[in-house]
Parts: sequence; structure tokens; C-alpha cells
Amino acid sequence: MPITAYANLNALGGTRADILAALAAGRSGLVPWDGPFPVLTMVGAVRTELPALDGALARWDTRCARMAAWLLAELDQPLRRARERWRPERIAVLLGTSTAGAETTERAYRTYVEQGVLPAAFDFRRQHTFGAVLHVVATLTGARGPTWMVSTACTSSAKPLASAQRLIAAGTIDAAIVGGIDTLCSMTLLGFQSLGALDRGICRPFGTERAGINIGEGGALLLLERDGDARVLLAGVGESSDAYHVSAPHPEGRGARDAMSAALAQAGLRPGDVDYINAHGTGTRLNDVAEAGAIRALFGAEVPVVSTKAYTGHTLGGAGAIEAAFAAYAIEEGWIPPSLNAAPLDPAVTIRVPTVLTRGMFRRALSNSFAFGGNNVSVLLRAP
Amino acid sequence: MNGAHDDGGAHDASLARTAPGEAGAHDEGGAVSSAALVVAGVGLWMPGFPNAAAWASRMQDPAAEKPRGLAFDRVNRRRASLLGRALSDAAAEAMAAAGVDPARVPTVVGSSLGEAATMIGLLEQMWRLHTPMSPAAFTVSVHNAASGLLSISNGNRGFTTSLAADFDTPAAALLEAAGLVAARGEPVLVACGDEVAPEHLVPEALRFDLLAAAVVLAPAWHPGPRLAGLRVVLGGAPDLQPAADTPRLARHPQAGLVDLIDALLAGRRGSVRLDRGAGAGWCAELSEPEAS
Repeated sequence: MPITAYANLNALGGTRADILAALAAGRSGLVPWDGPFPVLTMVGAVRTELPALDGALARWDTRCARMAAWLLAELDQPLRRARERWRPERIAVLLGTSTAGAETTERAYRTYVEQGVLPAAFDFRRQHTFGAVLHVVATLTGARGPTWMVSTACTSSAKPLASAQRLIAAGTIDAAIVGGIDTLCSMTLLGFQSLGALDRGICRPFGTERAGINIGEGGALLLLERDGDARVLLAGVGESSDAYHVSAPHPEGRGARDAMSAALAQAGLRPGDVDYINAHGTGTRLNDVAEAGAIRALFGAEVPVVSTKAYTGHTLGGAGAIEAAFAAYAIEEGWIPPSLNAAPLDPAVTIRVPTVLTRGMFRRALSNSFAFGGNNVSVLLRAP
Repeated sequence: MNGAHDDGGAHDASLARTAPGEAGAHDEGGAVSSAALVVAGVGLWMPGFPNAAAWASRMQDPAAEKPRGLAFDRVNRRRASLLGRALSDAAAEAMAAAGVDPARVPTVVGSSLGEAATMIGLLEQMWRLHTPMSPAAFTVSVHNAASGLLSISNGNRGFTTSLAADFDTPAAALLEAAGLVAARGEPVLVACGDEVAPEHLVPEALRFDLLAAAVVLAPAWHPGPRLAGLRVVLGGAPDLQPAADTPRLARHPQAGLVDLIDALLAGRRGSVRLDRGAGAGWCAELSEPEAS
């Protein structure tokens, strides 16, 4: 199924050129956290200036909605073409987020506690809820088909690719705007701090000295169409559950392997057909060894595996879409970035983790996302 | 962008493919709809009405103040919020009625606000109490807490998701399930619920009570229980009016799913609006199920 266009926004930048330049240079976008709570860690903050929503959408203005508007502006021409091809009722908006407007709510709640009243401009329904971002995207695009927000923590923005694929295959829609967005907020930082999961410095996925994650923000939107010209195709999406623990991965990566196997099966491909894996690779002790074990068991030791978390931070609900776009870059550009901070590699990680930029033909690329609740998604992309 | 068209081949061989205009997808008149399905079971929990049968008879049980979390194991029942337990009770009833295996059935959970009470608790810890955040509370503050706990409790390693769409949440969950039924050819559980709207953040006129409702959708040829044929349609002409109403139910994001269950339990046929007029206009069209 063709991905006719996509746009990406994260700590590396808001344009394809900026993001590719940082990835090629092995340059992290992480900066020290300077939010209202003193948490010693680095974060992947989006530094792109995001214009406020105006006119009829001004009351729906949040950082999350501004990111959506930015990404839609990047997709302006492809979206215009899609609207000419398909009826608005047959264009879906299927997105994912874990935070939605939590950053706005958090600030409003602080005012409520300190002053006894919520800020006059705060509107829970228009600014906090998942439906608010959907309203902004549907309004800006004119899409009037099925519209929903997946919220499955760190797989949130990967799952809509599968939903859209199913609805297009079933004949319900012809096109879908998919992907998702998350924004930085104190609650997330404090939550991961309470779990002892934050690295104080830049995270070190697959490295022997890894000590946890960095939180990031951003998102990506992709345009999936029933047919059309594309340089990247959605080949398959595998979805599974660990059925093991609320916040810890299965130690042998059982659910991760199920998701990757399902993506391959749907694509009609064998493990040896995959040229590149963009790992979930968060930098926690448990995730990286479990994921590496699952990859090794299914794909062997030769396929290059890169984590991009040390570039952007873990963008949580935005990660699935952002990293699907990274996998698409590999297919289009013919190179994969260094797996930043992986050296020295953990001896327990017995897969190939390149620490230098690697050129080659990457015709089929897999992107993994795993989440709280034991929720797993693997997105498999390929060249036409 | 350049590149070849790709609308076929082996890459999505497991998906049931339908070209535009082909059977079931959408008609020439312009309606956008799901494929035809059957409803194989329903479930419901709301205060005083701990199951769909109690609701259908309107026999209130004053003892049914809190949901029990019937589809959770003991450990996860303790972890779950009231919303999670209500979803669990409605799901348990629907799965039992449909005769589906909780360890295998793909599950779609819908909630407009998700774990709002847990989130409020975390905000209180942050801004008022100035206490360290509870890691246990943080891990179940995610929108997919209930779907994750269902999966873990039942050893279900298959598909699960959690979604939101404001007043279109019931329609969104049914459409997601319809896509899954079409792709997999097996029954899918849909459980939607929302808890008491947060007092601090929502005006009194917009508040509602804890409620969860569930249905099991299955392929049209499904050999099990068949309450009705169902199709989800955008912009239908609803002719079945809500059977019961209170202001707090009427403004509940899941009220449309309760209306659908009411119609199913009464054996009514026709079109039920899924958003109570507050969303995009999705309806559920109920028909006699075709012979399996």
C-alpha cells in the first residue's frame, strides 16, 4: 500500500533536510530538561517555532495541535492532491498519542491549585482530550471519514498504520492521514523518574553502560492511499501483546518476536528479506536485551539494527510514526545512521549494531515499537 | 514522489481486499460504511445495573455500586481503576454471551477520556501534595491500562488496542473492530467506557457517570450466537430512538453504544445513531442476520 507522502517533526528539526543532516552527522538533538520540576535528565525538545492556531481553531490551541498543524503544512501539496482524488468522507484521520493536551492541562491544574480557579482560557474538552487534536486535523484537512486517536502508550502512532491498511483493504475508505504526536510534560518525566528509568545523560541504547531513557517530543504524519505514486510502500504491520507485565517487557522478547513475525507474514516476506531494523531500543536494561534477543532469534546476527532514541529521545506516543519515517528515509536515501551511543556494545546484545553511518541498498526496513501494557507493533516498509 | 503503484501482490495477502464500489464497502449513493457483520454478544455495567439483562429489565440493584473487574485476575483487579473494572465487567459478559475465548479474542477498548481519575491523582501529587509520583499509578495512567490488564489477566497475546474519538468513540471502536473482522475473519470484542467526568475540570452541565458497554462483533457467516446483522454507516437515517434517558446518560460519550445494546436486547431492527447527535453522524444499522 503506497505511502504517498510523510512529514516528521522532532528534536532534530521540522524539515526532512534538517533531520537527515543530524542523522547523517550522528548529532543528538537532546538538551538538558529545564521544566518546572528539577529532574536531572536530557530531553528531546522540539525547537522548531510552532505558530499558534488562529481563527476558529484558536480555542483548540495546544502544543500538540500546533505540531499537528506544522506537519500538515509540510504535507500541503500531497493532501491537496489526495482531496482531489478521494471524497472527503473516504479520507480517514487515524492518529495516535499518549499525552494529547496533557502539557496544557498540567499548567492549568497548577493554576487551579495555586489560585483556586482554572485559567479562563482553559477548556478541558478543546485542549485536553484526544478528540481535540482530531478536530484540529480534520478541520485543517477537510477529511470527513472515520476519525480516531489510538492511545496505547509508546505504540500509539504505529498502530494507525494497521488500522488504515485494514479500512482501505475492506473498502471503507480510500486514503488516511496516519501517525501521531506527543509533547513533553512534567508528568511523564516524573513518572519515568519514579520508575528509575531515566538516564541523566544522553541515553545509550544497546550499550553496556546504558542507564535508561530520555523523553522526547514530536510526531510524524503519513498519507496512505489506496493507490498512487510512492517511493515507499507499507508492506505489513504486526501487532501483538506480551500478556506478561504492565510496564516490563517479556524477558525473552516473546511479544516483540510475535509482532515482527506477524509483519513478515502479512508482507509475504522471510526474515532474510529484511535489510534494516529501526529498533525500539530505548536504552533500558530490560528492553534492549529482550528486543535484541527477539531480533537475533528471528533474523540472526547480520541485519543492521539502529536505535534512534539518542537522537530524538523516546517520543512515546509519537515514536512509532517518527521511526517509521526514519525507516522510510533508509529506503529512500540508501544509508542508515550510526546507532548513537551504542559503543561499547553490551556483550548480551548479540546483534549487529552499526556505530557509523552505513551506506547500502535498504529495500525493506522494519520499525519496532513496544509499550506499557505489553503492546507491540512492528511496521514493515519496502521499496516499490 | 515517484515509484510504482502498489495495490496488490503478496504484501498484504492476509487482508480481505475490496475495491472501491465492491460488495459491502460503500454504495453508489455515497454512504460510507463498514462491511456487514453480526453481533454475537453484549455486556454492560452502570451503577445499579451490573449487566445487560438488569439494564434491559430496568430492575435496579442498589448493591451494584461498584464494578467487580470480572475479566481481570486478582492481581490486576487491584491495579485497575473503576473504569477498568467496569470495562472488564462489560467485556466478561459480552465474551461469555458470544462464546469467545478471552485468551484469543482481539480486543478494541474505547474511552473518550481514558484514565482521567488516575491522571487527576497524579496532578494532585505533583502540584498540591508535592509527593513523589507513584510508579504504580503512573503505569496504569495510560489510556490502554484496561486493554493491557485484560491481555495480561487472560494470557491473550493477540491484538489489543485502545482508542478515543470524543462522542464518536463508539463508532470508532466499532469501525476498528469491523476492519479487524474483515481482515481476520474472527470475532472481535469491543468494550467502551468512561468514568465520572473530572469535577475540577469539567463544568457540571457536561458531567456524566461511570458506564461501560461491550459488544462482540463477528463475520456475517459466524456460526455462534447472532443477535442481529450490523453495519456501521456514516450519515444514516436513524429511526430507532433512545429507549431510556437521563441527562447524565444522554451526555455520556458512550450513550450511543447503550442505545445500540438497548435495540439489540429488544430485538429491534433499524438505524441507531451512535453519537447522540454530538458527533459526525455515524449510525449502526441493525438487520436480521443472514443464515450462517
